Amino acid sequence: MMRLAGLAAFALIALTIGVGAGSVALPPGEVWSGLARADAPASLIVRNLRLPRALLAFLVGGGLGVCGAALQALVRNPLADPYLLGLSGGAGLGAVLAIAARPGSGWPVPLAAFVGAMAAVVLVYRLSVVSGRRLDPRVLLLAGVVVGAFASAVMSAVIVLSDAPQLRNAFLWLLGGFTASSWQTLGLFVVYSVIPFAMLFALARSLDLLALGEETALHLGTDVERAKRLVYVAASLLTAASVATSGIIGFVGLVVPHAVRRLWSPLHVALLPASFLAGGGFLVLADTLARTVIRPLELPVGVVTALVGVPLFAVLLRRNLA
Amino acid sequence: MGGAITILRPVPIFPERAFVFSALRWITAAAFTVGLGGCAAEPARGPIVVVDDAGDTVRLARPASRVASLIPATTELLFAMGRGGNVVGRTRWCDWPAAAARVPDLGDGIVPNLEAIAAVRPDLVLLYHSAQNAAAADRLRSLGMPVVQVRSDLLADVPRIAGLLGRLLGASAAADSLARTFDAELAAASVRPPSDPPRIFILVWEQPPITVGRGSYLSEIIERAGGRNVYADLPASSGQISVESVVARDPDAVFTSSDTIPGFARRPEWQAVRAVRDRRFIHASGSEFSRPGPRSPAAIGRLADRIRGLPR
Repeated sequence: MMRLAGLAAFALIALTIGVGAGSVALPPGEVWSGLARADAPASLIVRNLRLPRALLAFLVGGGLGVCGAALQALVRNPLADPYLLGLSGGAGLGAVLAIAARPGSGWPVPLAAFVGAMAAVVLVYRLSVVSGRRLDPRVLLLAGVVVGAFASAVMSAVIVLSDAPQLRNAFLWLLGGFTASSWQTLGLFVVYSVIPFAMLFALARSLDLLALGEETALHLGTDVERAKRLVYVAASLLTAASVATSGIIGFVGLVVPHAVRRLWSPLHVALLPASFLAGGGFLVLADTLARTVIRPLELPVGVVTALVGVPLFAVLLRRNLA
Repeated sequence: MGGAITILRPVPIFPERAFVFSALRWITAAAFTVGLGGCAAEPARGPIVVVDDAGDTVRLARPASRVASLIPATTELLFAMGRGGNVVGRTRWCDWPAAAARVPDLGDGIVPNLEAIAAVRPDLVLLYHSAQNAAAADRLRSLGMPVVQVRSDLLADVPRIAGLLGRLLGASAAADSLARTFDAELAAASVRPPSDPPRIFILVWEQPPITVGRGSYLSEIIERAGGRNVYADLPASSGQISVESVVARDPDAVFTSSDTIPGFARRPEWQAVRAVRDRRFIHASGSEFSRPGPRSPAAIGRLADRIRGLPR
C-alpha cells in the first residue's frame, strides 16, 4: 500500500511538472493564476493546452502500462507489449491509407488508425482461435507478428505507389505525440477507456493464475478461455484508442510493468494499478521533455521514452542482478 | 559582384571546396542585386568543367544536349531558358511548364530509378544533392553518365543554377539573360519591409504541426512579400512545434498551402490561436510556392497582395 501511495505521489509530481513546464516558459505564479482564473493571461495556454495534454499523456501512459502488464501475463512472454498483436501495423496502414486517399489530413487520420488497428486485432484473433474455441497464446504471438508484418508491407506499397509527397509525414504522426490534445480528445478517451480499464482491473486475479500457467489456472477454478478472451479484447481496445489519440509510443508498455516487478513483485491486483501510475507519470514526464528540450521545436515523444527509459531500465536490470 | 563567377569558374579540387562553396552561396546571395554579367564572357570551348554542389568536379567533352532533369526546379529553368527541347527526362513532380508534361516521366527525383534514366540515354543527369542520392550519383557515373548534383532550396539558387546550367549546355547567353530578368523581377516584386510587418505563421503540415525557419524558401518569399515569419528564429529549415508556442507568438495570419479553410482550423486545441479563431489564412496552393524558380517573383507578388489584404 505504501508503495502504491509512493507511485501516486510520483504521478502527481509528474502531472504538476507537466502543467508547469512547456514550450513557453511561464513562472509558477502565472501558471497558478492561469489555472485558477479563466481571465488570466496564461489561462489559454495552461487550461486549454497544457492541462488536457498532461492528463491525456497520463491516461495513455497508464493504459499502455496496464495493457503491457496484462499481455505479458496472457502470453507468458516478457517481450510482450501492447503493440505486439499486430496493432501498430494495422494502425499505420490505416493512417497511411487515410492520408493517401485524402491529402490534407485532419481528424480522419486518427480514426483510420483506430479502424486499422481494430481490423488487425480481429484478424489476429481469428487466426489464434484454434480447435474449437481455444485461444492459444503461442499462436496469438505468431499471428500478431505475421499480421503486423503484412500490414507494414501493404503500407510500404501504398507509400511507394501513392502520389502524395506528404506521406512521409504519416510516419511522423505514427512516431507518436500529444500535439493534438484538447479537452474534447481527453473526454473521448476517458469515456471510451472506462470499460477496458474496468475489465482489466476486474481480471487481475485471473491474470495471476494465468501467469502461473493455463493448467494450474484451470485447476484453481478459473474459466481460462473466458479470461484470456476478455484480457485480449480489453487490452486491444485500450491500445487502439491510445494509438488513435497519440500514435505509436513505444517502450512504455514493455518496460513499465517490468520496472514495477523489479521494484517489488506484486500480484496483479497491485501490479495493474502500479503500472497505471508508473506508466502515466513516466509518459507525462517524457512528453514534458519532448516539449521543452529543444523548444520551440518538439521531439516525437516515442524518441524520449526510449532515450530516457532504456538507460533507466538497464540500471534497474543490473541492480537486481547484483 | 564576383561571387557567382567564382563559383562557376573551373577550379582544381581541394578538400575544403565543398565548405568554401556553401559559404560562397551566402555571399553570392547578397551580391546578386549587382548581377552575374561575367558568366557569358567565357565561351564553351574545349571540355566543360564545373564543380557541383556536392563538391564534385564534373567534366563534359561537349555541351550537354540530352538532359535528364530530376529536379523540378531545374526542369523549370531549362524550359525558361528555351532549352526544353534538350530535356529527355523529368520527375513525376515536374508540373511546369505545361510542355514539360510531354517529356518522359522517370519517376522520383530522390532515390531515382536508374534503369529509367539509362533508357533515355542522357549525356547529363541533374540530381538533387542529398545523402539519399549519393549512391545513385556514383552508380550513374560508373555507367558512364555524367551527374551534376545541385541544391535548389532558396531564391539565390535560381540565378546561380541558371548560370551553371548555361555552362553545362553551352547556353550561357540565355542563362545570363534569364538570371538578369529574374533578378530584376525579384527586385520589382519584393516589398520594402514595412516597419510593422504582419506576423505570419507558416504551417506546412498539420499533425504534428510543422513549420519552417528562416533558412527556407517559404520564409524567404513571405519576408519579401512584406510579412514576417514568426518562426524566423528557428535554426532548422523545418521543425515540429507545439500549439502552445504558436499561441505565445500570436501570429496575425496563418499561411497554408490548401485552397480552403484547412481541417485543423476546426480542431479545438487550435482555437487557442487568435489567427485561427479569426480565420485569418493566407491560402497559397500551387508548386510555385514550394520551390524556387522562374515563377518565384510572380509568387511573391501574389503573396504580397494577400498580405496587404489582411485586416490590420
